[in-house]
Amino acid sequence: MTHPWPVAITGLGCICAAGNSLTECVHTLYGARLLPAAPTRFSSSHPVSYPVFEIPSFEEPPELLRTSALALHAAREALADAGLSSEQLKGLRVGVCVGTTVGCALNNEDFCREYRQGGDPDLEPMERILRSNPAAVIAREFGLNGPCQTVVNACASGTDAVGLAASWIRAGLCDLALAGGADELGRITYNGFISLMITDPAPCKPFDRDRKGLNLGEGAGMLVLESDPLRLCRNKRSRAYLVGYGSACDAHHLTAPAPDGAGLRRAINEALSCCNTPASAIGFVNAHGTGTPDNDRVESSVLADLFPSIPYLSTKGFTGHTLGAAGAIEAVFTIASLERGSIPASAGFATADPGLAGTPARCETAIPERLALSESLAFGGNNSVIILASGDAA
Amino acid sequence: MMRMAVKGIGVAGGFGTGVADFAAALERGAVPAGSLRVATGDSERELPALRAKAEGLDEFIPKRALRRVDNYSKLGLLGASLALRDAGWSGADLDRVGLIIASGYGATATTFAFLDSIIADGDICASPTHFANSVHNAAAANISMLLGARGPSLTVSQYELSVPSALITAQCWLAEGRVDAVLVGAIDEVSELVGYLKLRGCSGFGPAGAESAILGEGAAFLLLTRAEDAPAYCHIDAVEMGALFAGTPALPPDALIICDADAGREIASRWPSLLHESASTACYTALYGSMPAGAAFDLAAAALVLQRGEAYTAADDAAALPSRAEAADPGEQRRVGTPCPPGKSGGVDTVSRACALRLTSAGEFGLVSLSRAGAK
Repeated sequence: MTHPWPVAITGLGCICAAGNSLTECVHTLYGARLLPAAPTRFSSSHPVSYPVFEIPSFEEPPELLRTSALALHAAREALADAGLSSEQLKGLRVGVCVGTTVGCALNNEDFCREYRQGGDPDLEPMERILRSNPAAVIAREFGLNGPCQTVVNACASGTDAVGLAASWIRAGLCDLALAGGADELGRITYNGFISLMITDPAPCKPFDRDRKGLNLGEGAGMLVLESDPLRLCRNKRSRAYLVGYGSACDAHHLTAPAPDGAGLRRAINEALSCCNTPASAIGFVNAHGTGTPDNDRVESSVLADLFPSIPYLSTKGFTGHTLGAAGAIEAVFTIASLERGSIPASAGFATADPGLAGTPARCETAIPERLALSESLAFGGNNSVIILASGDAA
Repeated sequence: MMRMAVKGIGVAGGFGTGVADFAAALERGAVPAGSLRVATGDSERELPALRAKAEGLDEFIPKRALRRVDNYSKLGLLGASLALRDAGWSGADLDRVGLIIASGYGATATTFAFLDSIIADGDICASPTHFANSVHNAAAANISMLLGARGPSLTVSQYELSVPSALITAQCWLAEGRVDAVLVGAIDEVSELVGYLKLRGCSGFGPAGAESAILGEGAAFLLLTRAEDAPAYCHIDAVEMGALFAGTPALPPDALIICDADAGREIASRWPSLLHESASTACYTALYGSMPAGAAFDLAAAALVLQRGEAYTAADDAAALPSRAEAADPGEQRRVGTPCPPGKSGGVDTVSRACALRLTSAGEFGLVSLSRAGAK
């Protein structure tokens, strides 16, 4: 290792249903609740219209997957926030680590439908997928030279991407890293999650007694992680520090979390050990909080055991579940909350569930501490956790 | 960065199953190609393909536990189980073992099957089983569950550079002390969708100009530990990724360079500027076929070369990779060849260093440098 654990975060970017920039998203988070609606960009034949959190005013260029275009949008905002131009990036070793679920999948429904019907489908939809690897798209767009990795760890991808990029900085593999996650809404994930019967036909209600499942969303979150030598050379203050990362696998079930939350507990303990910090020093937890019965039961149990009386929230009531983007968007939101000194109400929560060990924040809650934890649970039993600390910025 | 020791290898591909079959194929320099049927409009075409079978998996996993596991995950389970056994780690506690899967295209057959369930029967008949297994990290999940691996688990997809990308993370995990070992595996499968895209010459599907390459599938796993452990095979000294516009990777003059020559003419045209005039080169692609995850097979081949200290010599001057006309014959024997000008193929007396080099059509590279145990 050539670098100690705290890794500076000097730029943030975000796009989701809550807003097309971090400023817009923060305005939404601390304002009135945003409600999901029936999808407008695709149709389905389900008798019930399951609401989603779409980004209303974003059009991707035809040559790119929407996922990669979202990633680029957030990356541009993050680089601008970090005060970095394309010119300044030349000559630096810059890594790109991006989480996604659909950004690498060879699954275009129209193409496959026409093929199945004996047609000769236009190859362009598949070629678009093949040239849209999210990390490669960002690296090529900005002419970057360094490690490049697209993480496909299901719904923990965004959190993992941020934690892994911090390792690259620490190891001296790059001077700077763009890390985050991106995913788009589409019929494939829409039908897939409905088939698993974990989708709520109404706005999602994380940690609520009456929760029935998740609402899907779309978006991207990107963070600029920077080595100290480069940051000091630029005289750039950090917005936050990544001080811990942990991940562990349940090895229990393909789509359900381990009932005892064993993997999540190990991931949390590993992240805490990175910064040699007791759980009591954590100011708040940005929970995965999808609103599915199983996830919220396991997560609230673990939080009650490891972080008793520490406030927590889910922001998926503002964004929906953005899958591979979720962990990155939530990392960005966590930093915004540390900067503001408060967390918003956990959107969608109204009635305490007697079967759960705790309740999330009901209203905006002041947070005096300088540390926060953001966690993601995923298909495949993946559990990933990052710990963020307040930065130097005024 | 941290050096890593290669403690075990698990491979399954068109050449067979396990290190012995792979070594025999390297020795022989040829693997008979199988085939893949692909529907095209109102007819069917048969493409040559190096198909892998997950035979022997029931030595490690009870058949009952595999009922809902698709072929892609089975290949991964087989590769992982073989690598653990090869290292003498079968049945070991895997809590301090990380798992990293690298894949180009993921579980394409299951992805297609999920779409089929919607296309054939409508949205309300979407298959939850296919959906759950179509997620890119499904193979990692199945390996974790069935082998009891509870450490960090990661799946990456960077197409041709998936394997170098995975190795960079493995190095970090070992260097940080997160784990004591990492099981790094690459998996890709041939499916009807993959065959159709190949047949249509889909741009971006494999390197440009590689239309004549034979499709391959399989799994190649390495069990890696920190370098202070004695390697069973060799050390991985360095892993580098980058863009060629920023400079070409430095290739040690005494190393055997293993190239990803799967007939990509555009990529092959870059080699002369990368390779030293007297570089020793080898290409083993014809033994496992063209696939993004193929870099892991190159690493397995490099490990075997370094273990014995001698390259598997290419068969005379025959082209390793078939022409388009040859590719139409699924039964054609494929030989190890020397498509890497300039340089000589194999031919070095004692190989103590090797490099596995991967290039992309977009001008990126991944370079993995390996050395024989004891080499300095």
